[in-house]
Formats: sequence, C-alpha cells, structure tokens
Amino acid sequence: MNREIAVVAFAQTDHRRTSEELSEVEMLMPVLHEVLAQTGLKTADIGFTCSGSSDYLAGRAFSFTLALDGVGAWPPISESHVEMDGAWALYEAWTKLLTGDADTALVYSYGKSSPGPLRDVLTRQLDPYYVAPLWPDSVALAALQAQALIDAGDTDEPALAAVAARSRADATANSHAQLRGSVPHGDYLVRPLRTGDCPPIGDGAAAVILAAGERARELCDRPAWIRGLDHRIEAHGLGVRDLTDSPSTRLAAEKAGAFERPVDTAELHAPFTAQEVVLRKALSLDDGVRVNPSGGALAANPVMAAGLIRIGEAAAGIHRGESDRALAHATSGPCLQQNLVAVLEGDPR
Amino acid sequence: MPEVLIAPLTVEFPFTRSLGPVQSAFLTGLRERVVLGVRTGDGRTLVPPVEYDPVTAEEIRDLVEVAPTGTVTTWAWNHAPRRDQPLNTPFAWVLVRLDGADTALLHALDAPGPDAVHTGMRVRVRWAEERSGAITDIACFEPYDDSAEGAGDTAEPTAHSGEFADPITGIVARARLDYTYSPGRAQSAYLGALAEHRNVGERCPSCRKVYVPPRGACPTCGLATSEQVEVGPRGTVTTFCIVNIKAKNLDIEVPYVYAHIALDGAGLALHARIGGIPYDQVRMGLRVEPVWTEDSRFPDHYRPTGEPDADYDTYRELL
Repeated sequence: MNREIAVVAFAQTDHRRTSEELSEVEMLMPVLHEVLAQTGLKTADIGFTCSGSSDYLAGRAFSFTLALDGVGAWPPISESHVEMDGAWALYEAWTKLLTGDADTALVYSYGKSSPGPLRDVLTRQLDPYYVAPLWPDSVALAALQAQALIDAGDTDEPALAAVAARSRADATANSHAQLRGSVPHGDYLVRPLRTGDCPPIGDGAAAVILAAGERARELCDRPAWIRGLDHRIEAHGLGVRDLTDSPSTRLAAEKAGAFERPVDTAELHAPFTAQEVVLRKALSLDDGVRVNPSGGALAANPVMAAGLIRIGEAAAGIHRGESDRALAHATSGPCLQQNLVAVLEGDPR
Repeated sequence: MPEVLIAPLTVEFPFTRSLGPVQSAFLTGLRERVVLGVRTGDGRTLVPPVEYDPVTAEEIRDLVEVAPTGTVTTWAWNHAPRRDQPLNTPFAWVLVRLDGADTALLHALDAPGPDAVHTGMRVRVRWAEERSGAITDIACFEPYDDSAEGAGDTAEPTAHSGEFADPITGIVARARLDYTYSPGRAQSAYLGALAEHRNVGERCPSCRKVYVPPRGACPTCGLATSEQVEVGPRGTVTTFCIVNIKAKNLDIEVPYVYAHIALDGAGLALHARIGGIPYDQVRMGLRVEPVWTEDSRFPDHYRPTGEPDADYDTYRELL
C-alpha cells in the first residue's frame, strides 16, 4: 500500500484568553464548518474522524463526546479520539487513510485552558511517583531547560527575547493569533524565563481535512502532500535526559525524510523561546529556513490544538503557493518530551 | 445574549498507585533517610531509580546507596511558589546529581535568592521531619559547603539490598484542581429560562428536531441549534425505573421513580423524578407536570396531571 495523502483544508479559531460564553462544541463548530466549506464536503462524506483533546484542561469529564455533536456523529460514524494534541490525531487519521479504509478524514482538536489553572493542571501529566507530588508547573520545567541551554552556551537571555519578538512581529500577519506585534518582554515568571518567553494561555480549536490520491486533487488546487510523518519520545525522567538537545525530534525528522532535501519553511511547536533553540539545533535548520511565519506557539498556544495548527499552517503555506516543502513539528509533555515531525510538499509549480 | 453563567468547580482525585520493587525500595528508603539508586546494564546509576532501563528497556533491580549530597545540574528561580509546591517561600527548582549517581533528581532548593544559586553548586538533602515513604520525605535541598572535607563527587555508591522493615507498597497521590465552570451559550440560555420556570429548547435548522436541554449542536446534522422553542410544561413518561437504594447526600425516601419525560413539543426526553403518586402506579404514557419549589432554579420533581394516559404512538420515537 503506497497511497499519497495530503492536507487539503485547514481552519482555526481566533485564539483568545477566554471563551467562557461558549461551550467546547460551540467553540469548535465554526472551524469544522469552515474546513468542510473549503472542500465542499458534508459531514456525511467524511470517511474517518479523529480528534485530540484533554478533559483535564477544562475539568469536564468526557467532554470529547459532547464535542462529537459538532460533527454529526449520530447515527454512529467511524471515529476515534486521542488524549493528545491534534497532531497525533492527524497521525492516526493518516495511518487510517494509508490502509485504504477511508479516502477522506476530518481531524480536529480543541482546548479551553481558561477554566483551570493551566500551569498546575499540566503537572498532572508528570511521573506520579517522583515528580507530580512536587507540583512543578509547566513554566518551571521549561525554565530548567532554558537555564541548561544558557549554561551550555547555546543561548542567552537577549537571544531568547529576540525569538519572542520575532515570533510576535510575524504574528501581526496572523489574524487568529492571541499575542501580536510589540509585546513587552516583562518580568521573570520563573527565572530565567520572563513572561515574554512564555506562550499566552488561551482557548482555541483547529481542524484539518486529509484526502488520499486523486480525491485530494479534486478537493484542493494544490494539496499539501504528506511525504513523511513520524513521532518519537524521550525517557520520562527529566534528569535522565540532556535537556539541551532533542534526539527524539531528530529521529522523527529523519524517519519522516526531513533531511533528504532542505525545507523552505518550518512550523515549530516551541511554546517557550528556549525550546525553539533546541529544535533548530535538533533539526539542523539554517538561516535560510522561514521559522514560524505564523508566529508559532508564542503567539497562540491553545493546548491540544497548537501542534495540529503547526501542520495546518505549514499546509496552508503550500496551498497558497508560498511554500513548496515545509516541515511541521508538534510536541507534547514537559521540556519537549514527545515530538512529531511531518514533511509536506506541494506539486511543482 | 443572556449573561454568562459561571460557577466554581473543584475536581479532586486521590489516585491509589501500587509500586514496583525498585520504587518501593526507593520510597521506603527515603522514609529511613537513605537514598537508593539502581544500576543499569552498562554500569550507570540512576537516581531516582526506575524499574526498567530507559535505553534498553531491560528490567533492572541492582540497587545501590548514594550520598545525600550532590551537585546542581540546572536550576530555575521560583519567586512566587504555587499551592502544593515543596516550599512556600521563594526557592529554586533544581535538578541535582547526587554523589554516586549518573542522573539527576528534580526537587526544590532552599536558598536566600537567585544570586545564591548556580549550576555546579553543592547541595545536600534536608529531610522532612515527618516521613511516610514519598518523594516529599525530602523536604528540599539546601546549600552545602564541603570544600573543607574535599569533593564528594568521587563517592562510590555502595550495594544495598533494598530491604527495610515495613516496606511501602503503594502511594496515594492526592490532587485537587480548582476550575471555573461555564456551560456556554445554549446551556446558559436554557438554565436562565428554567430559573423563570420555563423549559426552552433549541431547534435544529436542518432536521427541525427540538433539543431539551440544548447543548448547542444537533448531533445528527452537526449544525448549531439556535432557534429557541418553549416546550411543555406538561409531558409524558416514556420509560422509567424504580430506585431502591438511597443515594448518599440525597434526602429522598426509597423506593421512588426516576423517569424519562418527553415534554410536549420536545424532540427527545429529559429525565426527572416522579412524585405525587405511589411508585408502583407509575406507568409509560403517564401525563405529568413539573413541581417547583420556592426559589428553585429547576423543578423538584414531576407529578401526574390527571389527564388520560398518552397513546404509545405519540411517544414511541422518544423512548
């Protein structure tokens, strides 16, 4: 089986600090309708549906089953859910299409971080024996990684501030972004990270449609073909890892074929400035590569959707003819614990 | 648009977790003020110790005791400690490689300020006064000047059986998270109307089904519902059950009847308690109406209206 699979449509919400006037399905539905409208498909035309979300974010048990109302899941459809970023839902959908079981797939993810204390909520994903009882919050763990990079001579605080400034300046062209333009770098949140080194906390959703072969060409003028897709994970002990490097990203990129030819664009899921430094090193990206023209996760980081958005943004650049070969990366867990890399290409112009 | 409803929501989950032999020895050791590591096949010593080699996945059981002193490998200054963190005064998060270990342990370092902390500094364990066999038996680390004693870095770990009297075999991992719950547009509107003793559902623009309570979307069509439709107040019992076990914190005498009720005009049934009739006389097709208590935001229960029972054909699609 050697089917070509492409991203043929992408939509996202405006990402905002709070969406308290909307339930999760109410927040999600407009992007579902938007990707369907881009392709002319109806929900009944979709062969497989896969979503990514986490009930811990909003504290709502089985919220993903309520979100399914938005895709017209009754009578029962072929669907699945991962308690992970939507990039991993896309991975499952991609494998489903590779098997030939379906020709089209709808992938969506959403996260409402506003109802809960996100920094504390994310401690619940940590090792429950040795780490979670200490409640080390997400910023603290990212700060340990940043200090390790500074100690190693890989970066310094001004360089990190420059990553933040570049990301938010680029985000001025992205109407969906939450933090755009000139944003003060602020005080230390957990030193060495300042507020400007950290992603905004907010609510948002995204959706992507995948299609196979000729179906993709029917649905999209310039499909973003997925040339490779792989994900890898590090040892779970933070003190076992070298926090200044990301061998799992490098291996995923190698398996996805990222190093076979240069890419022109990379959408990196680096919620904290220092993580972009780690990823650039792991992926051997040189200055010729446009990194995060969308502004990246420093401009909008709806947890559980921000990784899928990287794939969507990379694909949308190809759809628009602004990119020919792009790398998209998604991460999950503390300090770049688990990493997914996709390589996307457009047909020659 | 009606005001957004919000309410506090606390989620607590005391997970009970069993321990493998290595975790059990490590946590019991902390209770006894002993820090254990585990040897990997290639001779490295992992602290904190794990059950399986992170590189080879080989089962590892070879325990060693390491020193309670070590070196900071990276740190981060936390000027605003959060609830449940190890110290309630500003502290440094640290990864510490204990003397004799090849990997680092995450914990807190009690230091006067960020200027007193640097990578490479020497620290030692400060034990908690009360210890139960948990990572928090280490209260935190504290700075440690061992220049007079010579570097401890060369300390060799010593073999340890991992055996202690009364070993810990499990932990209870308590967690509490505080949320602010908001039900969203459709449910806020429903709850707002209900507080005025009106049942207002929403109609699907495509299949015309009226959802009560509405959740904002039609699960058949995948479309937003928005047209508001007042239904009831009367309805029909479509099916029911008899509850014989008293629920905790619920002041209702058993047995009682809990029923699916199709309100007149609704496209699906909601559920509620039936009162005002002996439990063994409730039947499918019984016509009922809501009973409101003073100041209540929702009906206390439903009672018979006295009308003739509804024909089965009028509610067969609403079971």
